[in-house]
Amino acid sequence: MLDKAFETLKTYDWGQDRNLLNPIDEAIVATHGDDAKRKELEDKLAAVLKTDVTYDAKQFVCRKLMVIGTASSVPTLAELLADEKLSHMARYALERIPCEEANKALLDAMGKTEGELKVGMISSLGVRSDAASVAPLAALLGDSDSSVAGAAAVALGVIGSSEAGKALADAKPSAIVSDASLACAESLLADGKKLEALTTYKRILKSKPPKHVKVAATRGMLACAKKK
Amino acid sequence: MGNQNPTRRKFLKTAGAAFAVPYVIDSSVLGAQDATEPSERIVMGGIGIGNMGRGDQGAFLGRGDVQYVAVSDVRKGAREGAKNKVDSKYGNKDCQAYNDFRELLARDDIDAVHVATPDHWHSIMVINACRSGKDVYCQKPETRTLREGTLMVEAARRYGRVVSGGSQRVRQDYNGIVNKCWGGELGEIKSINVNVGPLSKDCNLPAEEVPEDIDWDLWLGPAPWAPYNGKRCSGNFSTRGGSWRSYIDYSGGGMTDWGAHHFGGATFAVDVRELQPEEVIFNDDEGKQHLEFKYPNGISITHNKPNVGNLHVEGTPGEKRDPKPEPVYKGTGGIYGDFIHCVKTREKPFRDIQLAVNTMAVPLLGIITYGLQRSVKWDSAAQQFVGDEEANRFLDRARREPWQL
Repeated sequence: MLDKAFETLKTYDWGQDRNLLNPIDEAIVATHGDDAKRKELEDKLAAVLKTDVTYDAKQFVCRKLMVIGTASSVPTLAELLADEKLSHMARYALERIPCEEANKALLDAMGKTEGELKVGMISSLGVRSDAASVAPLAALLGDSDSSVAGAAAVALGVIGSSEAGKALADAKPSAIVSDASLACAESLLADGKKLEALTTYKRILKSKPPKHVKVAATRGMLACAKKK
Repeated sequence: MGNQNPTRRKFLKTAGAAFAVPYVIDSSVLGAQDATEPSERIVMGGIGIGNMGRGDQGAFLGRGDVQYVAVSDVRKGAREGAKNKVDSKYGNKDCQAYNDFRELLARDDIDAVHVATPDHWHSIMVINACRSGKDVYCQKPETRTLREGTLMVEAARRYGRVVSGGSQRVRQDYNGIVNKCWGGELGEIKSINVNVGPLSKDCNLPAEEVPEDIDWDLWLGPAPWAPYNGKRCSGNFSTRGGSWRSYIDYSGGGMTDWGAHHFGGATFAVDVRELQPEEVIFNDDEGKQHLEFKYPNGISITHNKPNVGNLHVEGTPGEKRDPKPEPVYKGTGGIYGDFIHCVKTREKPFRDIQLAVNTMAVPLLGIITYGLQRSVKWDSAAQQFVGDEEANRFLDRARREPWQL
């Protein structure tokens, strides 16, 4: 049944019966806890990405590698990151694979892509929140492409670390930078770093933001002043 | 992987409660649904004016304390119809209609928005609305992934926004069982059952020509690219293949669609809206699969328990308890009036976003459990599965560029 499903993948396209691929879903469930069989299944799926199957078939494979992919599949997925059609689905898998190799692949692709694809890499790096991403993301805060600069700010806000906050301090003030800075300040305050948080809130207020941002920063400052 | 940042969430929870900074609203405005001066009305816009959106628009448009000024929808026909409805009401042509919701959110004159797009858009719109200083009424199911819920609450608390979820049925359809539970008639509550489904599935519908009426790329938004098909994006209420509610990239299926109501009623009835489950037990009784969601306080919610009715409560009816005061809507006009009242007073609404997120955690955890076909443990403080890397992969899904949370 599984072999038949992989055979179906070779010509799988929109409009065909999705149930024909169910044996692959069932194999994923059945191989939980069996590393060897999981690896075999993963390798078989990743191999499909190197063949000339349809976009639909590759999308299916990326969905499955999101679940069972490991460092082993990262090189194959990484090759798709610069592909306009497949980049998102490659990230669909990579963003959720917990390994250092996925971070590196996304960072590498971030350096080699432009525009919306680059924004996609930035977004996934933010979600993954790896400390090594902070400096490369910070370097994009002044990017001439405002969507890239904005995405970098959002990603640094998601990471929310002290280093991310420091990077945002040097960024040109904007609504996105304020929001990301507020997120970082919240993290700092929650970690007991009141002085750093207070500095961040003061900086936000100094940028003369809209009322609701001012209120958010003021609330944060009041929280900094609160005794335990 | 990923920083769910439990300490940041904890800060927002306590800081928000201690340091509410309300807008000052003249007391003559409170409760004045029918005769509010235009300058005192809540200025609103609507995003996603389909089947449910039209109902929400009608409810807000019909209030004298709301001034409705803008609509946004990626379908030209829906957008123009929604604009015409507003213009007819006010006898002018002033309502603005936008294809792109970001243009609506960029308006400084809008105080609040209602969102009734397909589910895969809810988090992006709610968070961006909060970032833009707007209060939000968001249709159920409020979340599509567990991570989204965390971020929506963070945004709401960060900016002190009123964000209400949108299940009108919780306080309406389930009153009988709610009254019995809160009234003490059923004694010590042990469990409540919810029967709902099905789960959504992958969509592989064939490609059709894209009608001129729809901005297909913007309809898809953060979801994976797929060719246009009328059933893929239809807003009818089918969860068996006839609409977006049937498909994984946009919805959790009946589990979240009707589940938002039923689990909402259940969590309210047994008073666990402030909590999330700590364990989900997967059961397979000769092919009949069902779940038990165990809460830290000892109460359980079961899903599709064989031979048990929907919203059936197990308690100790022979040992009646003292009644507890039930939370009710504030203001007048049901859940819509509750939202508007809270916009004016800055109180938390009946289905505050945290309560909505806690409710939606139940079917979302359930969907993941059914997918894994085994039991899981959930740490609601960390917003992570306990010791379960595979389950944690399902906390969120990568969004199609350029969309980002």
